[in-house]
Amino acid sequence: METVVEIEHLNKSFGSKEVLKDINIKIDKGENLVVLGKSGSGKSVLIKCLVGLIVPDGGKIVLLGENILDLKERQLNVLRKRVGFLFQSAALYDSMTVRENLAFPLRDQKSKSKEETDALVMEAITNVGLADAIDKMPSELSGGMRKRIGLARTLILKPEIILYDEPTTGLDPITSKEISELILDIQKKYNSASIIITHDVECARITANRMVVIKDGAVFAEGTFKELSESKDEWVNSFFKHG
Amino acid sequence: MPIDLKISGAVLEKGSSPGVIPLLNAFKSFFAAVTQLSLFAWRFLKEVFKPRYEFSELVKQSYLIGYKSFPLVAITGFIMGLVLTIQSRPTLAEFGAESWLPAMVAISIIREIGPVITALIFAGKVGSGIGAELASMKVTEQIDAMEVSGMNPFKYIVITRVVAATFMLPVLVIIADAIAMYGSYIGVNLKGDVSFHLFFLQVIGKLSFTDIFPATIKTFFFGFAVGLIGCYKGYNSNNGTEGVGQSANSAVVIGSLAVFIIDMIAVQITSFFT
Ligand SMILES: Nc1ncnc2c1ncn2[C@@H]1O[C@H](COP(=O)(O)OP(=O)(O)OP(=O)(O)O)[C@@H](O)[C@H]1O
Ligand SMILES: [Mg+2]
Repeated sequence: METVVEIEHLNKSFGSKEVLKDINIKIDKGENLVVLGKSGSGKSVLIKCLVGLIVPDGGKIVLLGENILDLKERQLNVLRKRVGFLFQSAALYDSMTVRENLAFPLRDQKSKSKEETDALVMEAITNVGLADAIDKMPSELSGGMRKRIGLARTLILKPEIILYDEPTTGLDPITSKEISELILDIQKKYNSASIIITHDVECARITANRMVVIKDGAVFAEGTFKELSESKDEWVNSFFKHG
Repeated sequence: MPIDLKISGAVLEKGSSPGVIPLLNAFKSFFAAVTQLSLFAWRFLKEVFKPRYEFSELVKQSYLIGYKSFPLVAITGFIMGLVLTIQSRPTLAEFGAESWLPAMVAISIIREIGPVITALIFAGKVGSGIGAELASMKVTEQIDAMEVSGMNPFKYIVITRVVAATFMLPVLVIIADAIAMYGSYIGVNLKGDVSFHLFFLQVIGKLSFTDIFPATIKTFFFGFAVGLIGCYKGYNSNNGTEGVGQSANSAVVIGSLAVFIIDMIAVQITSFFT
Protein backbone atom coordinates (compact mmCIF):
# COMPACT_ATOMS: atom_id res chain seq x y z
CA MET A 1 0.00 0.00 0.00
CA GLU A 2 1.15 3.50 -0.80
CA THR A 3 1.65 5.72 2.25
CA VAL A 4 0.30 9.24 1.65
CA VAL A 5 0.63 10.74 5.12
CA GLU A 6 3.64 10.19 7.34
CA ILE A 7 3.98 12.02 10.63
CA GLU A 8 7.07 11.35 12.74
CA HIS A 9 8.01 12.69 16.16
CA LEU A 10 5.83 15.75 15.67
CA ASN A 11 5.89 18.18 18.57
CA LYS A 12 4.47 21.61 19.20
CA SER A 13 4.30 23.87 22.24
CA PHE A 14 2.53 27.15 22.80
CA GLY A 15 4.66 29.02 25.28
CA SER A 16 5.37 26.61 28.08
CA LYS A 17 2.38 24.46 27.17
CA GLU A 18 3.37 21.28 25.35
CA VAL A 19 0.37 20.42 23.20
CA LEU A 20 1.88 17.78 20.93
CA LYS A 21 4.81 15.83 22.31
CA ASP A 22 5.58 12.94 20.03
CA ILE A 23 3.02 12.10 17.40
CA ASN A 24 3.67 9.27 14.95
CA ILE A 25 0.97 8.44 12.41
CA LYS A 26 0.99 6.81 8.98
CA ILE A 27 -1.95 6.70 6.59
CA ASP A 28 -2.29 4.69 3.40
CA LYS A 29 -3.99 5.76 0.22
CA GLY A 30 -7.72 5.28 0.43
CA GLU A 31 -7.75 4.91 4.20
CA ASN A 32 -9.97 6.74 6.69
CA LEU A 33 -8.27 7.38 10.01
CA VAL A 34 -10.40 8.61 12.89
CA VAL A 35 -8.66 10.59 15.64
CA LEU A 36 -10.14 10.64 19.12
CA GLY A 37 -8.99 12.74 22.02
CA LYS A 38 -10.24 14.96 24.78
CA SER A 39 -11.15 18.53 24.03
CA GLY A 40 -7.98 20.59 24.07
CA SER A 41 -5.73 17.60 23.42
CA GLY A 42 -4.36 19.20 20.28
CA LYS A 43 -6.30 17.45 17.53
CA SER A 44 -6.98 20.65 15.61
CA VAL A 45 -3.38 21.73 16.13
CA LEU A 46 -2.24 18.41 14.66
CA ILE A 47 -4.12 18.75 11.38
CA LYS A 48 -3.29 22.45 11.13
CA CYS A 49 0.37 21.43 11.25
CA LEU A 50 -0.25 19.14 8.29
CA VAL A 51 -1.31 22.02 6.03
CA GLY A 52 1.22 24.51 7.30
CA LEU A 53 -1.24 26.72 9.18
CA ILE A 54 0.76 26.06 12.34
CA VAL A 55 4.49 25.48 12.13
CA PRO A 56 5.54 22.66 14.45
CA ASP A 57 8.59 22.90 16.68
CA GLY A 58 10.04 19.66 15.46
CA GLY A 59 9.39 16.39 13.70
CA LYS A 60 8.69 15.38 10.15
CA ILE A 61 5.54 15.60 8.05
CA VAL A 62 5.47 13.97 4.66
CA LEU A 63 2.35 14.43 2.53
CA LEU A 64 2.13 12.77 -0.88
CA GLY A 65 5.87 12.23 -0.85
CA GLU A 66 6.79 15.82 0.02
CA ASN A 67 8.26 16.95 3.29
CA ILE A 68 6.09 19.97 3.92
CA LEU A 69 8.42 21.61 6.41
CA ASP A 70 11.04 21.96 3.64
CA LEU A 71 8.70 23.46 1.06
CA LYS A 72 8.78 27.06 -0.13
CA GLU A 73 5.56 29.04 0.05
CA ARG A 74 4.85 28.52 -3.65
CA GLN A 75 5.40 24.76 -3.53
CA LEU A 76 3.37 24.53 -0.37
CA ASN A 77 0.46 26.25 -2.10
CA VAL A 78 0.64 23.74 -4.93
CA LEU A 79 0.57 20.89 -2.44
CA ARG A 80 -2.28 22.50 -0.50
CA LYS A 81 -4.49 22.19 -3.56
CA ARG A 82 -4.15 18.41 -3.28
CA VAL A 83 -5.18 18.44 0.38
CA GLY A 84 -8.69 19.32 1.52
CA PHE A 85 -9.39 20.82 4.93
CA LEU A 86 -12.82 21.03 6.51
CA PHE A 87 -12.79 23.53 9.34
CA GLN A 88 -14.52 22.89 12.62
CA SER A 89 -16.49 26.10 11.97
CA ALA A 90 -16.91 25.48 8.20
CA ALA A 91 -15.22 28.88 7.65
CA LEU A 92 -17.41 29.96 4.74
CA TYR A 93 -16.51 33.34 3.26
CA ASP A 94 -19.43 35.39 4.45
CA SER A 95 -19.07 38.19 1.93
CA MET A 96 -19.56 35.72 -0.91
CA THR A 97 -22.50 33.67 -2.12
CA VAL A 98 -22.40 29.89 -1.88
CA ARG A 99 -21.49 29.74 -5.57
CA GLU A 100 -18.57 32.13 -5.12
CA ASN A 101 -17.47 30.21 -2.05
CA LEU A 102 -17.30 27.00 -4.01
CA ALA A 103 -15.56 28.59 -6.98
CA PHE A 104 -12.96 30.32 -4.82
CA PRO A 105 -10.41 27.49 -4.72
CA LEU A 106 -10.65 27.23 -8.52
CA ARG A 107 -9.95 30.87 -9.26
CA ASP A 108 -6.26 30.69 -9.98
CA GLN A 109 -6.52 27.80 -12.38
CA LYS A 110 -6.22 29.64 -15.64
CA SER A 111 -6.84 26.54 -17.68
CA LYS A 112 -10.42 26.34 -16.44
CA SER A 113 -13.06 28.12 -18.50
CA LYS A 114 -16.14 29.60 -16.91
CA GLU A 115 -18.21 26.65 -18.10
CA GLU A 116 -15.83 24.16 -16.53
CA THR A 117 -15.87 26.07 -13.24
CA ASP A 118 -19.66 26.18 -13.26
CA ALA A 119 -19.84 22.48 -13.96
CA LEU A 120 -17.47 21.69 -11.08
CA VAL A 121 -19.44 23.93 -8.73
CA MET A 122 -22.68 22.23 -9.72
CA GLU A 123 -21.14 18.81 -9.26
CA ALA A 124 -19.77 19.69 -5.83
CA ILE A 125 -23.03 21.15 -4.55
CA THR A 126 -25.08 18.28 -5.91
CA ASN A 127 -22.73 15.88 -4.12
CA VAL A 128 -23.79 17.40 -0.81
CA GLY A 129 -27.45 17.67 -1.86
CA LEU A 130 -27.85 21.44 -1.60
CA ALA A 131 -28.25 22.54 -5.20
CA ASP A 132 -31.11 24.92 -4.26
CA ALA A 133 -28.90 26.91 -1.94
CA ILE A 134 -26.38 27.89 -4.58
CA ASP A 135 -27.26 31.59 -4.71
CA LYS A 136 -27.77 32.08 -0.98
CA MET A 137 -25.41 33.91 1.33
CA PRO A 138 -23.76 31.87 4.12
CA SER A 139 -25.68 33.85 6.75
CA GLU A 140 -28.91 32.43 5.34
CA LEU A 141 -27.83 28.83 5.93
CA SER A 142 -28.34 26.58 8.93
CA GLY A 143 -25.39 25.06 10.76
CA GLY A 144 -25.76 21.73 9.01
CA MET A 145 -26.03 23.36 5.61
CA ARG A 146 -22.89 25.39 6.29
CA LYS A 147 -21.00 22.23 7.17
CA ARG A 148 -22.10 20.65 3.94
CA ILE A 149 -21.21 23.66 1.84
CA GLY A 150 -17.85 23.72 3.62
CA LEU A 151 -17.48 20.08 2.66
CA ALA A 152 -18.40 20.81 -0.95
CA ARG A 153 -15.81 23.59 -1.06
CA THR A 154 -13.20 21.27 0.43
CA LEU A 155 -13.93 18.63 -2.20
CA ILE A 156 -14.05 20.84 -5.25
CA LEU A 157 -10.38 20.35 -6.06
CA LYS A 158 -10.78 16.56 -5.71
CA PRO A 159 -8.14 16.36 -2.99
CA GLU A 160 -6.11 13.22 -2.48
CA ILE A 161 -6.00 13.78 1.26
CA ILE A 162 -8.91 15.21 3.25
CA LEU A 163 -8.72 16.48 6.81
CA TYR A 164 -12.05 16.74 8.61
CA ASP A 165 -12.17 18.71 11.85
CA GLU A 166 -15.27 17.54 13.71
CA PRO A 167 -17.52 17.23 10.66
CA THR A 168 -20.63 16.29 12.65
CA THR A 169 -20.29 18.30 15.86
CA GLY A 170 -23.34 20.36 16.64
CA LEU A 171 -25.63 18.55 14.22
CA ASP A 172 -28.66 16.40 14.90
CA PRO A 173 -28.16 12.59 14.72
CA ILE A 174 -29.85 12.29 11.34
CA THR A 175 -27.81 15.00 9.65
CA SER A 176 -24.70 13.65 11.37
CA LYS A 177 -25.35 10.25 9.89
CA GLU A 178 -25.85 11.75 6.44
CA ILE A 179 -22.55 13.57 6.67
CA SER A 180 -20.78 10.46 7.91
CA GLU A 181 -22.13 8.54 4.96
CA LEU A 182 -21.10 11.36 2.66
CA ILE A 183 -17.56 11.02 3.98
CA LEU A 184 -17.67 7.33 3.22
CA ASP A 185 -19.01 7.98 -0.30
CA ILE A 186 -16.24 10.45 -0.97
CA GLN A 187 -13.64 7.95 0.14
CA LYS A 188 -15.05 5.36 -2.25
CA LYS A 189 -15.51 7.77 -5.13
CA TYR A 190 -12.12 9.47 -5.06
CA ASN A 191 -10.07 6.82 -3.24
CA SER A 192 -8.82 9.61 -0.99
CA ALA A 193 -7.11 9.23 2.37
CA SER A 194 -8.68 11.08 5.29
CA ILE A 195 -8.10 12.10 8.84
CA ILE A 196 -11.39 12.53 10.64
CA ILE A 197 -11.42 14.20 14.02
CA THR A 198 -14.60 13.49 15.87
CA HIS A 199 -16.23 12.95 19.24
CA ASP A 200 -19.18 11.33 17.54
CA VAL A 201 -19.04 7.56 18.08
CA GLU A 202 -21.56 6.90 15.35
CA CYS A 203 -19.52 8.91 12.86
CA ALA A 204 -16.40 6.99 13.87
CA ARG A 205 -18.19 3.67 13.50
CA ILE A 206 -19.37 4.52 10.00
CA THR A 207 -16.24 6.11 8.63
CA ALA A 208 -13.23 4.58 10.37
CA ASN A 209 -10.93 2.03 8.82
CA ARG A 210 -8.57 2.60 11.68
CA MET A 211 -8.58 4.81 14.77
CA VAL A 212 -6.03 6.47 17.03
CA VAL A 213 -6.57 7.97 20.46
CA ILE A 214 -4.42 10.91 21.51
CA LYS A 215 -3.50 11.47 25.13
CA ASP A 216 -0.89 13.80 26.59
CA GLY A 217 0.41 14.82 23.20
CA ALA A 218 1.09 11.32 21.90
CA VAL A 219 -0.76 8.42 20.31
CA PHE A 220 -2.09 6.42 23.25
CA ALA A 221 -3.98 3.63 21.51
CA GLU A 222 -4.53 2.46 17.97
CA GLY A 223 -6.80 -0.07 16.31
CA THR A 224 -10.04 -0.64 14.46
CA PHE A 225 -13.32 0.67 15.80
CA LYS A 226 -14.15 -2.78 17.13
CA GLU A 227 -10.80 -3.23 18.86
CA LEU A 228 -10.89 0.13 20.56
CA SER A 229 -14.53 -0.02 21.57
CA GLU A 230 -13.81 -3.31 23.31
CA SER A 231 -10.60 -2.00 24.81
CA LYS A 232 -9.70 -3.10 28.32
CA ASP A 233 -8.37 0.36 29.04
CA GLU A 234 -10.95 2.26 31.07
CA TRP A 235 -10.00 5.63 29.63
CA VAL A 236 -10.13 4.55 25.97
CA ASN A 237 -13.33 2.73 26.62
CA SER A 238 -14.99 5.80 28.06
CA PHE A 239 -14.98 7.48 24.64
CA PHE A 240 -17.41 4.86 23.40
CA LYS A 241 -19.76 4.83 26.35
CA HIS A 242 -21.71 8.05 26.24
CA GLY A 243 -23.19 7.37 22.79
CA MET B 1 3.16 37.53 17.50
CA PRO B 2 2.09 41.07 16.63
CA ILE B 3 2.38 43.62 19.35
CA ASP B 4 -0.18 46.25 20.03
CA LEU B 5 0.77 49.75 18.96
CA LYS B 6 -0.83 51.16 22.07
CA ILE B 7 1.58 52.30 24.67
CA SER B 8 0.53 49.79 27.25
CA GLY B 9 1.64 46.74 29.12
CA ALA B 10 4.04 48.81 31.11
CA VAL B 11 4.45 46.89 34.31
CA LEU B 12 6.23 48.07 37.40
CA GLU B 13 8.95 45.62 38.24
CA LYS B 14 9.70 44.91 41.84
CA GLY B 15 12.44 47.02 43.29
CA SER B 16 12.88 49.19 40.25
CA SER B 17 12.63 52.91 40.60
CA PRO B 18 9.09 53.82 39.67
CA GLY B 19 8.66 55.84 36.53
CA VAL B 20 11.71 54.69 34.60
CA ILE B 21 10.95 51.05 33.93
CA PRO B 22 7.36 51.54 32.76
CA LEU B 23 8.52 54.27 30.45
CA LEU B 24 11.24 52.00 29.11
CA ASN B 25 8.75 49.19 28.61
CA ALA B 26 6.37 51.51 26.88
CA PHE B 27 9.10 52.59 24.49
CA LYS B 28 10.06 48.99 23.88
CA SER B 29 6.55 47.92 23.02
CA PHE B 30 6.04 51.03 20.94
CA PHE B 31 9.11 50.33 18.83
CA ALA B 32 8.26 46.66 18.57
CA ALA B 33 4.85 47.66 17.23
CA VAL B 34 6.37 50.09 14.76
CA THR B 35 8.69 47.33 13.58
CA GLN B 36 5.77 44.94 13.11
CA LEU B 37 3.82 47.51 11.15
CA SER B 38 6.86 48.27 8.98
CA LEU B 39 7.30 44.58 8.22
CA PHE B 40 3.65 44.42 7.24
CA ALA B 41 4.15 47.41 4.95
CA TRP B 42 7.26 45.79 3.51
CA ARG B 43 5.34 42.62 2.75
CA PHE B 44 2.73 44.75 1.01
CA LEU B 45 5.37 46.44 -1.15
CA LYS B 46 6.97 43.11 -1.99
CA GLU B 47 3.73 41.48 -3.05
CA VAL B 48 1.77 44.30 -4.62
CA PHE B 49 3.49 44.15 -8.02
CA LYS B 50 3.73 40.38 -8.23
CA PRO B 51 1.00 38.44 -10.03
CA ARG B 52 -1.58 37.21 -9.59
CA TYR B 53 -3.55 40.48 -9.66
CA GLU B 54 -6.98 40.39 -8.07
CA PHE B 55 -8.56 42.98 -10.33
CA SER B 56 -12.20 42.17 -9.80
CA GLU B 57 -11.80 42.18 -6.04
CA LEU B 58 -9.91 45.48 -6.29
CA VAL B 59 -12.75 47.04 -8.26
CA LYS B 60 -15.27 45.73 -5.75
CA GLN B 61 -13.31 47.07 -2.80
CA SER B 62 -12.77 50.45 -4.47
CA TYR B 63 -16.48 50.69 -5.08
CA LEU B 64 -17.36 49.72 -1.52
CA ILE B 65 -14.73 51.95 0.06
CA GLY B 66 -15.54 54.97 -2.09
CA TYR B 67 -19.27 54.56 -2.18
CA LYS B 68 -19.71 53.88 1.53
CA SER B 69 -17.91 57.03 2.57
CA PHE B 70 -19.30 59.31 -0.11
CA PRO B 71 -22.41 60.69 1.69
CA LEU B 72 -20.51 61.39 4.88
CA VAL B 73 -17.68 63.06 3.02
CA ALA B 74 -20.11 65.14 0.97
CA ILE B 75 -21.98 66.41 4.01
CA THR B 76 -18.84 67.25 5.97
CA GLY B 77 -17.36 68.93 2.91
CA PHE B 78 -20.36 71.18 2.53
CA ILE B 79 -20.42 72.14 6.20
CA MET B 80 -16.66 72.72 6.23
CA GLY B 81 -16.89 75.23 3.41
CA LEU B 82 -19.96 76.96 4.76
CA VAL B 83 -18.75 77.27 8.35
CA LEU B 84 -15.24 78.31 7.50
CA THR B 85 -16.61 81.09 5.31
CA ILE B 86 -18.98 82.36 7.96
CA GLN B 87 -16.30 82.23 10.63
CA SER B 88 -13.65 83.97 8.56
CA ARG B 89 -15.79 86.84 7.34
CA PRO B 90 -15.60 89.10 10.46
CA THR B 91 -11.81 88.99 10.61
CA LEU B 92 -11.39 89.73 6.94
CA ALA B 93 -14.02 92.43 7.14
CA GLU B 94 -12.01 94.15 9.84
CA PHE B 95 -9.16 94.49 7.37
CA GLY B 96 -11.55 95.45 4.62
CA ALA B 97 -10.47 92.40 2.71
CA GLU B 98 -13.82 90.70 2.22
CA SER B 99 -13.11 90.14 -1.44
CA TRP B 100 -10.36 87.78 -0.27
CA LEU B 101 -12.86 85.55 1.45
CA PRO B 102 -13.34 82.98 -1.33
CA ALA B 103 -9.63 82.68 -2.00
CA MET B 104 -8.72 82.37 1.66
CA VAL B 105 -11.30 79.68 2.28
CA ALA B 106 -10.25 77.86 -0.87
CA ILE B 107 -6.62 77.84 0.17
CA SER B 108 -7.38 76.58 3.69
CA ILE B 109 -9.67 73.89 2.39
CA ILE B 110 -7.51 72.64 -0.42
CA ARG B 111 -4.21 72.80 1.39
CA GLU B 112 -5.17 71.47 4.74
CA ILE B 113 -8.71 71.15 5.99
CA GLY B 114 -10.16 69.16 3.11
CA PRO B 115 -7.47 66.47 3.04
CA VAL B 116 -7.13 66.13 6.80
CA ILE B 117 -10.83 66.16 7.74
CA THR B 118 -11.70 63.80 4.91
CA ALA B 119 -8.86 61.48 5.89
CA LEU B 120 -10.03 61.46 9.51
CA ILE B 121 -13.55 60.59 8.45
CA PHE B 122 -12.10 57.97 6.16
CA ALA B 123 -10.14 56.51 9.09
CA GLY B 124 -13.29 56.43 11.18
CA LYS B 125 -15.44 54.83 8.53
CA VAL B 126 -13.18 52.78 6.27
CA GLY B 127 -10.29 52.05 8.64
CA SER B 128 -12.57 50.71 11.35
CA GLY B 129 -14.60 48.78 8.79
CA ILE B 130 -11.53 47.08 7.38
CA GLY B 131 -10.18 46.36 10.87
CA ALA B 132 -13.41 44.77 12.04
CA GLU B 133 -14.01 42.85 8.84
CA LEU B 134 -10.55 41.31 8.70
CA ALA B 135 -10.56 40.54 12.40
CA SER B 136 -13.83 38.69 12.11
CA MET B 137 -12.55 36.83 9.05
CA LYS B 138 -9.59 35.83 11.15
CA VAL B 139 -11.72 34.69 14.10
CA THR B 140 -14.01 32.62 11.91
CA GLU B 141 -10.97 31.02 10.22
CA GLN B 142 -11.86 32.45 6.80
CA ILE B 143 -8.30 33.68 6.31
CA ASP B 144 -6.96 30.25 7.24
CA ALA B 145 -9.43 28.68 4.83
CA MET B 146 -8.09 30.80 1.97
CA GLU B 147 -4.59 29.83 2.90
CA VAL B 148 -5.26 26.09 2.92
CA SER B 149 -6.99 26.29 -0.44
CA GLY B 150 -3.63 27.37 -1.80
CA MET B 151 -4.68 30.97 -2.41
CA ASN B 152 -2.73 33.88 -1.02
CA PRO B 153 -5.06 35.65 1.44
CA PHE B 154 -2.65 38.54 1.79
CA LYS B 155 -3.03 39.30 -1.89
CA TYR B 156 -6.75 38.78 -2.01
CA ILE B 157 -7.64 40.59 1.20
CA VAL B 158 -4.90 43.01 2.19
CA ILE B 159 -3.48 44.21 -1.10
CA THR B 160 -6.85 44.90 -2.68
CA ARG B 161 -8.04 46.92 0.30
CA VAL B 162 -4.86 48.92 0.76
CA VAL B 163 -4.67 49.76 -2.93
CA ALA B 164 -8.35 50.67 -3.00
CA ALA B 165 -7.95 52.93 0.04
CA THR B 166 -4.84 54.56 -1.44
CA PHE B 167 -6.64 55.54 -4.63
CA MET B 168 -10.12 56.22 -3.31
CA LEU B 169 -9.17 58.72 -0.62
CA PRO B 170 -7.71 61.25 -3.10
CA VAL B 171 -10.91 60.98 -5.14
CA LEU B 172 -13.00 61.56 -2.03
CA VAL B 173 -10.83 64.53 -1.05
CA ILE B 174 -11.29 66.12 -4.47
CA ILE B 175 -15.05 65.65 -4.19
CA ALA B 176 -15.04 66.99 -0.63
CA ASP B 177 -13.02 70.03 -1.70
CA ALA B 178 -15.40 70.74 -4.57
CA ILE B 179 -18.45 70.46 -2.34
CA ALA B 180 -16.74 72.56 0.31
CA MET B 181 -16.22 75.28 -2.28
CA TYR B 182 -19.89 75.14 -3.09
CA GLY B 183 -20.63 75.47 0.64
CA SER B 184 -18.32 78.45 0.75
CA TYR B 185 -20.12 80.01 -2.19
CA ILE B 186 -23.37 79.71 -0.27
CA GLY B 187 -21.64 81.15 2.82
CA VAL B 188 -20.34 84.15 0.88
CA ASN B 189 -23.81 84.83 -0.43
CA LEU B 190 -25.45 84.77 2.98
CA LYS B 191 -24.22 88.35 3.39
CA GLY B 192 -23.53 89.87 0.08
CA ASP B 193 -24.09 89.04 -3.51
CA VAL B 194 -21.35 87.34 -5.47
CA SER B 195 -22.15 85.56 -8.69
CA PHE B 196 -20.85 82.04 -9.10
CA HIS B 197 -18.71 83.24 -11.97
CA LEU B 198 -17.05 85.92 -9.88
CA PHE B 199 -16.60 83.56 -6.94
CA PHE B 200 -14.95 81.07 -9.23
CA LEU B 201 -12.61 83.70 -10.67
CA GLN B 202 -11.65 84.93 -7.21
CA VAL B 203 -10.76 81.41 -6.15
CA ILE B 204 -8.89 80.38 -9.28
CA GLY B 205 -7.00 83.65 -9.43
CA LYS B 206 -5.42 83.07 -6.04
CA LEU B 207 -4.84 79.32 -6.19
CA SER B 208 -1.48 78.14 -7.41
CA PHE B 209 0.06 74.83 -8.32
CA THR B 210 1.83 74.67 -4.97
CA ASP B 211 -1.52 74.78 -3.22
CA ILE B 212 -2.96 71.89 -5.13
CA PHE B 213 -0.17 69.50 -6.00
CA PRO B 214 1.38 68.69 -2.57
CA ALA B 215 -2.06 68.54 -1.01
CA THR B 216 -3.14 65.93 -3.52
CA ILE B 217 0.03 63.87 -3.16
CA LYS B 218 -0.32 63.63 0.59
CA THR B 219 -3.84 62.26 0.32
CA PHE B 220 -2.44 59.13 -1.35
CA PHE B 221 -0.28 58.61 1.72
CA PHE B 222 -3.22 59.24 4.03
CA GLY B 223 -5.26 56.62 2.19
CA PHE B 224 -2.39 54.17 2.18
CA ALA B 225 -1.81 54.61 5.92
CA VAL B 226 -5.48 54.22 6.84
CA GLY B 227 -5.86 51.12 4.65
CA LEU B 228 -2.63 49.55 5.78
CA ILE B 229 -3.25 50.12 9.48
CA GLY B 230 -6.82 48.82 9.22
CA CYS B 231 -5.56 45.69 7.49
CA TYR B 232 -2.66 45.25 9.89
CA LYS B 233 -4.92 45.48 12.91
CA GLY B 234 -7.52 43.11 11.46
CA TYR B 235 -5.15 40.61 9.88
CA ASN B 236 -3.19 40.20 13.10
CA SER B 237 -6.15 40.17 15.41
CA ASN B 238 -5.83 37.33 17.84
CA ASN B 239 -8.27 37.74 20.67
CA GLY B 240 -11.36 36.03 19.41
CA THR B 241 -14.57 38.00 19.24
CA GLU B 242 -13.27 40.62 21.60
CA GLY B 243 -10.42 41.22 19.19
CA VAL B 244 -12.86 42.37 16.50
CA GLY B 245 -13.84 45.45 18.49
CA GLN B 246 -10.28 46.08 19.56
CA SER B 247 -9.04 45.90 15.99
CA ALA B 248 -11.70 48.30 14.75
CA ASN B 249 -10.97 50.68 17.59
CA SER B 250 -7.22 50.76 17.27
CA ALA B 251 -7.47 50.97 13.48
CA VAL B 252 -9.27 54.29 13.93
CA VAL B 253 -7.04 55.63 16.68
CA ILE B 254 -3.75 54.73 15.05
CA GLY B 255 -5.03 55.54 11.56
CA SER B 256 -6.01 59.06 12.66
CA LEU B 257 -2.72 59.55 14.42
CA ALA B 258 -0.88 58.44 11.30
CA VAL B 259 -2.83 60.99 9.26
CA PHE B 260 -1.60 63.81 11.50
CA ILE B 261 1.97 62.56 11.51
CA ILE B 262 2.05 62.25 7.72
CA ASP B 263 0.49 65.71 7.46
CA MET B 264 3.22 67.15 9.62
CA ILE B 265 5.93 65.51 7.53
CA ALA B 266 4.23 66.65 4.33
CA VAL B 267 4.18 70.24 5.53
CA GLN B 268 7.90 70.11 6.30
CA ILE B 269 8.70 68.69 2.89
CA THR B 270 6.47 71.16 1.08
CA SER B 271 7.87 74.19 2.84
CA PHE B 272 11.38 72.97 2.11
CA PHE B 273 10.70 73.04 -1.62
CA THR B 274 8.71 76.26 -1.82
N1 LIG C 1 -2.75 29.59 18.08
C1 LIG C 1 -2.66 29.12 19.34
N2 LIG C 1 -1.97 29.81 20.26
C2 LIG C 1 -1.86 29.36 21.52
N3 LIG C 1 -2.39 28.21 21.96
C3 LIG C 1 -3.10 27.47 21.10
C4 LIG C 1 -3.27 27.89 19.74
N4 LIG C 1 -4.00 26.95 19.10
C5 LIG C 1 -4.27 26.01 20.03
N5 LIG C 1 -3.74 26.30 21.22
C6 LIG C 1 -3.82 25.49 22.42
O1 LIG C 1 -3.55 24.16 22.07
C7 LIG C 1 -4.38 23.27 22.77
C8 LIG C 1 -5.03 22.30 21.81
O2 LIG C 1 -5.98 22.98 21.02
P1 LIG C 1 -6.82 22.25 19.91
O3 LIG C 1 -7.66 23.30 19.28
O4 LIG C 1 -5.92 21.49 19.01
O5 LIG C 1 -7.71 21.25 20.73
P2 LIG C 1 -8.69 20.15 20.16
O6 LIG C 1 -8.12 18.84 20.52
O7 LIG C 1 -8.95 20.39 18.72
O8 LIG C 1 -9.99 20.41 21.02
P3 LIG C 1 -11.52 20.41 20.55
O9 LIG C 1 -11.95 19.01 20.57
O10 LIG C 1 -12.21 21.20 21.63
O11 LIG C 1 -11.61 21.06 19.23
C9 LIG C 1 -5.38 24.12 23.55
O12 LIG C 1 -5.01 24.07 24.88
C10 LIG C 1 -5.20 25.50 23.01
O13 LIG C 1 -5.29 26.42 24.06
MG1 LIG D 1 -10.54 21.20 17.61
